[in-house]
Amino acid sequence: MIRRYLAWRFAGWLLPAAWRLTKALVLAAVALAAAPATLVAAVAVTLAWRRGWPPTRLARAAAACAPMLAVWLAATAVAAGTLAALPAAPYRAWLDMWHAAAAGRPLLAAAVIAPLAIPAGLAAGALAWSRRIRAMESGSSGLSPASAVAFDRRQWRHQVATARARIAAPGSVPLIKGYGSVVAGAVIRTVNHRVGPVASLPYQRMRSHQVVIGATGTGKTTLLLRLWAGFMAAAQQRYAAGQGPRPLLVVLDCKGGADARRIADRARRVLREAGARSTAVWPDEARLSLWDLPPGPLTTTLLDLIEHGTGAAAYYTDVMEALVALAVEAPPGPPRSAQELRDRLDAGWLSLAYAGVGQPADLALIRSSARLLPDIALRYRALFRRLGAGLEGPGGFGDADAWYCILEGTSEPAVAEGQARALTDLLAFFATSGPDREILLAVDEFSAVARRLPIWGLYERARSLGLAVQVSAQSWPGLAGTEDERNRIAAAADGGLWLLRTPYPEPVTALAGQRKLTDTSRRLRRSRVWSEEGQGRTALAPVADPALIRSLDTGQVAYIYRGGVTYIQVKRLIGSPPALPPATAPAPPAAELHPATSAPADPPTASSDGTARSPITPPAWATRAAGPVWPLPSVRAAPSSPAWPPAPEQAPAQADHRPPGLTAFLDAAFGPEPAARPASQHAVTDAPTRADGARETEDSR
Amino acid sequence: MNPADRSPVQPALPEPGRSARARPAAPAGLTGRDAGRLLFVAEMHGVQLDLLAVLMRTSGTSTRTIVSRWQQQRLADTARLSPGAPWVWLTRSGLTACGRPYRAIPPALSRLAHLRAVTAARLALERQPGWRSGGAWWRSERRLSARLGARGGRRDHLPDGEIHWPDDSPAGLAWAGECWAVEAELTRKTAARTTAIMRELLTRTGDYGVPAAEVLVPGLRPRHDRVLYLCSPAARPTVQRARAALAGADAARVEIRLLPESARLSPGDGQ
Repeated sequence: MIRRYLAWRFAGWLLPAAWRLTKALVLAAVALAAAPATLVAAVAVTLAWRRGWPPTRLARAAAACAPMLAVWLAATAVAAGTLAALPAAPYRAWLDMWHAAAAGRPLLAAAVIAPLAIPAGLAAGALAWSRRIRAMESGSSGLSPASAVAFDRRQWRHQVATARARIAAPGSVPLIKGYGSVVAGAVIRTVNHRVGPVASLPYQRMRSHQVVIGATGTGKTTLLLRLWAGFMAAAQQRYAAGQGPRPLLVVLDCKGGADARRIADRARRVLREAGARSTAVWPDEARLSLWDLPPGPLTTTLLDLIEHGTGAAAYYTDVMEALVALAVEAPPGPPRSAQELRDRLDAGWLSLAYAGVGQPADLALIRSSARLLPDIALRYRALFRRLGAGLEGPGGFGDADAWYCILEGTSEPAVAEGQARALTDLLAFFATSGPDREILLAVDEFSAVARRLPIWGLYERARSLGLAVQVSAQSWPGLAGTEDERNRIAAAADGGLWLLRTPYPEPVTALAGQRKLTDTSRRLRRSRVWSEEGQGRTALAPVADPALIRSLDTGQVAYIYRGGVTYIQVKRLIGSPPALPPATAPAPPAAELHPATSAPADPPTASSDGTARSPITPPAWATRAAGPVWPLPSVRAAPSSPAWPPAPEQAPAQADHRPPGLTAFLDAAFGPEPAARPASQHAVTDAPTRADGARETEDSR
Repeated sequence: MNPADRSPVQPALPEPGRSARARPAAPAGLTGRDAGRLLFVAEMHGVQLDLLAVLMRTSGTSTRTIVSRWQQQRLADTARLSPGAPWVWLTRSGLTACGRPYRAIPPALSRLAHLRAVTAARLALERQPGWRSGGAWWRSERRLSARLGARGGRRDHLPDGEIHWPDDSPAGLAWAGECWAVEAELTRKTAARTTAIMRELLTRTGDYGVPAAEVLVPGLRPRHDRVLYLCSPAARPTVQRARAALAGADAARVEIRLLPESARLSPGDGQ
């Protein structure tokens, strides 16, 4: 009985082992027989593993080999003179390969089998790599239960290394690519998104609202600069092609301080290289005029700038609104400056202004509220003193391609809130009544002004204004004051959410949703190896892994859009001063490139609707900011040749380029140009000596 | 009034973009000539008495008398820093009187030869009739450095001076409206380094002290129409090789001359 039981147990072990062995032997035989394809597959899988490629990439490579296969088959048919030779062609090639290899001609063998082995090997590699990844994801493979986690971590490292290598390669990550897509960087990994080497966003997505969340030092500014430059470059391209209006980028940097100035300088450089002809830095170099608003919006904005109370203070608010409306809408027209508004907030002025033309109710209101007017004037006096001269004009958003507005949200939050409110009101008015522009409003460090800037209100009506809003914050709680507002902002971000490293990503990752995943549980044998028994079930896993986002490195970002996520290594834009164009390519006249010399020349003369585009005269600050600060003479003769820059083929005969009389002038001052070492060495000593007799060196200067 | 007295006064024009601040009243006992001479010394940082005598077109004794008066008024200080004539530089009071925001320190020993060379070059230029008729004026390295210092860094290569030729000069000079960079080259650098400096000077479009983005703006005219290299015989071959390494058109904008004899810092000068 015992012997029979043991035999049964032995058979129970032997049969599966024999089956596994047979399978392995058959696979080994097939792999050996198809050695070239096996070799290609092994190399492909190894490469995919080492570089963190997805299986799709191998499959695409196999598909890309189809033309080679087709040509090989066609050549075979032509050589044989009949199509009937095609079915046997692979077998014949296989035989020829082995014969060549046996004859000691490995190169010939490789050449014979390559058209067949490469696509087959790549396809087999894609299949094997896909099975491997699926098995590891579901937990049905690996030597231990921790294998799946280790595999994922390792693959992440490989994918990050590959993405970093890609962004380090010159030219591999352009700013925009075909059809105006904005390239953010190299793809590390995708979930439910299309796989590709670089992450590109269609231009229309840049025209939608977006949210960027990332803590300090995670690369948020680098990402934002890239997105702004990409928007500018793509929009300028569309504008030049007559497919859309001119772009306008308005950045509200709500943090302020010296750091904001540095970023503004960097933004100006990258935007210039992206095609922006002028970038205005407000309020340091440029101004906007609050007083360009029509009376109605001006009244609303002026009231919004003042903080109001509730309860009994609401009465005061109503009186103030009525009086400010009277001051703004007075018969002489709206005020043109803060001083003029303050002057109007006077009972005498208002009475005179409305005498004879105003309604009796207006005059009664002025009389009854006369005692409050000095208080209201005082509040506005304090308000405009805090706001500074940046809103006093002259200037408007239409004066530049990009505005970088610095709001001192860190040092003076109340001022920044007021400024943000005024700027967004000005922009909304410009969007509705100004020239047709494709506007992107980027609010950086939104938390600094979130209390008084109802960005979600702007979000919801921005569509009709042709305005896209991009809000960035350091954390989810910093996005808005209440959870409801935060959810409204995030839910309206139909252009996607950018999530950099942040300690609390769950609310945002939840917006990416979940995906179905096969979860496999298996039984461990006593010998710590897997048994053949187990269970599989469908489980839900988050599309965007919060743990992964918490561990993102600097410059890595998760882009969440439509239930998918793409992890990206952002390519940093270097806004170094561009080199002058090579002398071989004559540069266009300065007037076409920069407003410093004349009015900008618009590339297309007609907009998409066929109406003529009017040239925009650069404001004074644009000239100052873009051109040399030191006043070089306004009309100068060409320095050395009629065309500038001079063509290289011009002979270096210097006398030809010298203005007449110059050589004589210099010769009179210093003598003729030395052609060789002068005979007399007494002009100046070769080695000037210092007081202590040591040799003077230029390095010491 | 001789040209040497008038020309140094011309750089005292206010810098554009800066508010016109009221200048401090000149100390009592100073003449109009003194103002120009003091400004010259302030811009050049330090001047040896023999070169100052050339500027003043006076004898050595008269020059010493004038400088002694400056010293009594605490406007200037003197010392024998190198072989040859004593050096003169302005004190804080002198710089304040000139309205110049420079540091009142004596010239560094390591810069004496360079300062003398640049001063001699400037004087040689200012002696020319074309200088005065063209209305040219000199913008010194010290002034450029002060502008650059306000931006918080010195990444740019500063020329040893700039010459601005107004475009409305009655003389009708063919180079009116140009801006030249002046480099005094005493010792040999490598040709590559010299070429890089030449290229930087020739391609720069922005003023010194402007944001980095405005230093090189494609499409704008270069700031310096011409670069004038004044070199010692030792440095001349290197400078000429460096110019030869430039493109033809750029090379044509580089003028090379030998420094005048008075640029030599040696015992016995002016004695």
